[in-house]
Amino acid sequence: MLIPRQLSKEEESEATDAEVTKEDQDKINAFSKLHNRSKALEEELATKQKDKEDLEEVSTELELADEDELIPYKIGESFMHVPLSEAQELLASATTELESEVTSLEDELSTIRDEIGTLKAHLYARFGKGINLEA
Amino acid sequence: METTSTNPRGIPTFPFMSNVTDYVKSIEDVEPTLQRFQEMVSKYTFMQQNVDRRAAGLKEKLPDMKRTLEVVKFLKKKRKDITDRDASGSLDDGEDLDAGSGHGLSDEIETTYSLQDTLYAKAKIKPASIDEVYLWLGANVMVAYPLDEAEDLLRTKLDKAKESLAAAEEDLEFLRIQITTLEVAIARVHNWDVGEKRKLRAQGKLKDPLPDEKDKA
Repeated sequence: MLIPRQLSKEEESEATDAEVTKEDQDKINAFSKLHNRSKALEEELATKQKDKEDLEEVSTELELADEDELIPYKIGESFMHVPLSEAQELLASATTELESEVTSLEDELSTIRDEIGTLKAHLYARFGKGINLEA
Repeated sequence: METTSTNPRGIPTFPFMSNVTDYVKSIEDVEPTLQRFQEMVSKYTFMQQNVDRRAAGLKEKLPDMKRTLEVVKFLKKKRKDITDRDASGSLDDGEDLDAGSGHGLSDEIETTYSLQDTLYAKAKIKPASIDEVYLWLGANVMVAYPLDEAEDLLRTKLDKAKESLAAAEEDLEFLRIQITTLEVAIARVHNWDVGEKRKLRAQGKLKDPLPDEKDKA
């Protein structure tokens, strides 16, 4: 959201008096969209990374587990008591899936950040102090 | 002005204002125009809130659906494992694999299921004899489905939910763009107003003190 704020005289003189064109508007919109998307992605990535760490911890924990004992593995709402090897299998496949999700999120985020950088540079060059892209 | 277009779900686009003077001809036009823009912003914001809520609801449901699907898949896999074992086991059944022997496959799986929010109970299930699962369809209806059908159904539902979530997110981005466009338009009308008043004051046609000046977006 924009917070209207009065520019000081010095700031105003630094603002270029460029008229906004359709192209500029599109760039501003793209910036706003990507900025928002990057924030959502960051959040998602943080949760996924936390999940990944948890899974890794569980996997280390399972190394120490007794082979003859059944492991309660949570599927859905309930725990299925499965042999150690099977629990490790299930865990491994869950980890791989999560890892690929994390990687694709990271890729997406870095692409978006690059685009944001380009748009910022362009818009600041065009409007100077007349536009505020930090939030 | 461009003709009004809409996005795939019928939300109207706010056309880009090429020239401020297409909208405001004199300082008298400024106030009503700004008011009109503000009103549109609140309309878009209202829609945004609605879609936001819908998206949040879907997001909440997705993990539940995923979990249900996982259980069905797990049951199916177990069933298959056991049938496979029985098929090959009949050839070389040197020793009997008792249920719960701890090695290989057992006919029974012990489970700890949630009976209530904080209460768990144990149950033994025989995957080989589970042919159907009961899916809660809502409206107090539960339907028995064979495992395969249940998996298909859940998968389709999950895909559909993902689709509508994607659509809702697309709408949110679209609405955001309209709001940004409007905010820029508001800022431009403001700037035009300030500039125009300065011009008039310089010509001595306007005597009131400095109005509150606002910056561009």
